Amino acid sequence: MGKKEVEKMTEVINEQVEKEKHIRGFGAMILSRTLDKKIITAQRQGRVGFYTPTMGQEAAQIGLSMALSKDDLLYEYYRDVPMMLHRGVPLEIVLNQVFGNRDDLAKGRQMPSHLVARDYNFMSVPSPVATNLPLAVGTAFAKVYRHEPGIVVASFGDGSSSTPDFHSAMNMAAVFNLPVLFFCENNGLAISLPVEKQTKTEIWKKAEAYGMAGFKADGNNMVEMYRVAQQAVDHVRSGKGPALLEARCFRMGPHSTSDDPSKYESDIVQDGSDRDPIVVTQNALKAMGLINDQLVDKVKNESIRIVNEKFDQQEKVPPPDPETMFQDVYGNETWIIKEERGEIL
Amino acid sequence: MNMVQAINSTLDMKMAADDSIILLGEDIGKDGGVFRVTDGLQGKYGQQRVIDTPLTELGIVGMAIGMAVYGLKPVPEIQFQDFIYTAMDQIINQMAKMRYRTAGKITVPLVLRTPYGGGIRGGLYHSQSGESYFVHTAGLTVVTPSNPYDAKGLLSASLDLGDPVIFLEPKKLYRFQKMEVPENDYKVEIGKARKAREGDSITIITYGSMVPTVLSAVEKNGVDADVIDLMTLSPLDIGTISTSVKKTGRVMIVHEAPRTLGMGAEISAMISERMIEYLYAPILRVTGPDTPFPYRLEDHYLPDEKRIMDAVDKLLKFR
Ligand SMILES: Cc1ncc(C[n+]2csc(CCOP(=O)(O)OP(=O)(O)O)c2C)c(N)n1
Ligand SMILES: [Mg+2]
Repeated sequence: MGKKEVEKMTEVINEQVEKEKHIRGFGAMILSRTLDKKIITAQRQGRVGFYTPTMGQEAAQIGLSMALSKDDLLYEYYRDVPMMLHRGVPLEIVLNQVFGNRDDLAKGRQMPSHLVARDYNFMSVPSPVATNLPLAVGTAFAKVYRHEPGIVVASFGDGSSSTPDFHSAMNMAAVFNLPVLFFCENNGLAISLPVEKQTKTEIWKKAEAYGMAGFKADGNNMVEMYRVAQQAVDHVRSGKGPALLEARCFRMGPHSTSDDPSKYESDIVQDGSDRDPIVVTQNALKAMGLINDQLVDKVKNESIRIVNEKFDQQEKVPPPDPETMFQDVYGNETWIIKEERGEIL
Repeated sequence: MNMVQAINSTLDMKMAADDSIILLGEDIGKDGGVFRVTDGLQGKYGQQRVIDTPLTELGIVGMAIGMAVYGLKPVPEIQFQDFIYTAMDQIINQMAKMRYRTAGKITVPLVLRTPYGGGIRGGLYHSQSGESYFVHTAGLTVVTPSNPYDAKGLLSASLDLGDPVIFLEPKKLYRFQKMEVPENDYKVEIGKARKAREGDSITIITYGSMVPTVLSAVEKNGVDADVIDLMTLSPLDIGTISTSVKKTGRVMIVHEAPRTLGMGAEISAMISERMIEYLYAPILRVTGPDTPFPYRLEDHYLPDEKRIMDAVDKLLKFR
């Protein structure tokens, strides 16, 4: 066979790989949505303490995740469960964290939604927003210094773009030409503040002022999101320096289970409506001939079965031993902590 | 009314009387604050006086200081005390030092409100008790009420003080208790502690969210305790503390914040320096441990009645 024919074969294979990538992405979107609804309902029933729903941000996160590779490292934020599921983090890890139970990787220390999954390159979530961004710059430096492959992604919301942490990190990443992808999930709200009152510019445009590439993507359509995310990732991976990728998406509900959005927002995108990213993505994939309604129903039913099963299973895991409260403050436990543990337990 | 309503109505009353008072913070306007403390005030006073700011604590506090040095009386809100740290540079290096740096030519009359402490299952970052950071900074006045009546009186006094006040609101007590709160403007004096209960055999010094816990423990167990609610953490009311300590000779300090360099450390040092000859027993501390604040094990972290009573028994038995 000549060169041309071999290339043709590669093309066919690549096409197939791309198709599977899209199907996998959509599967993760459905799974994530099912999990989200389950946790929200359980919170109302008093079975879960707190949660920050991720509904409306699935396509944005998974579209980006599709463009990433295994070596890439993520400084995720509290709404990034869809991305975590897509990168293979098992449901058990998410659920154990949500329950804060004995099997939680962080020993039930953090509020729900503040996940860590180091084995999957997720670096953990502090509540003070954007505080991870400067760390992403340092980690990118370390990765380059150690000649490791992969880029560093730091995700955050539109509101977080107002913090000093954001500005310092953007500036330093550009000055040191480091492989950081700043990923802004712009859901239009920071609790009650609309993004128009948060900043006078479009967020992706801030990139230029710092001297890095800026990208804007439709985060409601996984296919479209993936296309733009791939450009941004390629840019960062090629050594051309950091980039800022802004995905427009929705927060399809309250900020958290403690929040009542009726006071400040009248236009909440409804589950299953035309603007719902699952519906938008589903239509796009249908047009590409990758899925049909029957298949989608089947996937939805299966996701409900799996989520219910895992939820009930992990809910039974007991809380952490009180003893664990005193661990991991230091590498070597201090006498003070030892003494306090003795007094309290 | 509860503490949320007391603070809300005090802000309302003061804003009506003084148009130099400006509120600013995250989600305080349209949303009325995540704890609803500023509910309805933007509707009443407009967006110029109740400002929904972008998400930057540094910006909020710095902007408030800039207002305060130029004739306004801002009341910045930090949504959770845990998120104040990017603003600490502004607080420690600007707010606290302006009067000193300018020999009194420029002052910073403002009240920084922020909810603090545990009790809502907030984990590491929605539960911190960082009062020591502020108390350790010369130039700051630090106040914390434990009930609706004091909240109103202390807030009113803070607004009239003319210096920066860190007004720490124990979020656990926001809706804990309802009580009669007078409609008129009144002040609870800054720098004065309050006797939450009179007794002769032991002095328990506490403040904020621990006040009801201490009261409930001693009352249930019939302890003849003198309970001091500090209310102002800086400057401390050494007079009230002395009188009580000299009467009982047995002292313990209870707070939620970690033990090391917590309020208890300073108070016990002051007592040892000034009146050690009156003490029949060592000064004991019942505090949060020197670990971060956990989510699921919150109940083990917070000092409870049992730990308080263990310390009381130990003190009373000490010969
Ligand atoms: C430094 C800091 N200040 C305040 C908060 C309280 N808070 C939690 S989330 C949030 C809004 C964040 O909005 P955005 O960055 O747009 O993310 P989204 O929640 O919309 O995904 C605020 C103000 C916080 N977590 N951290
Ligand atoms: Mg947002």
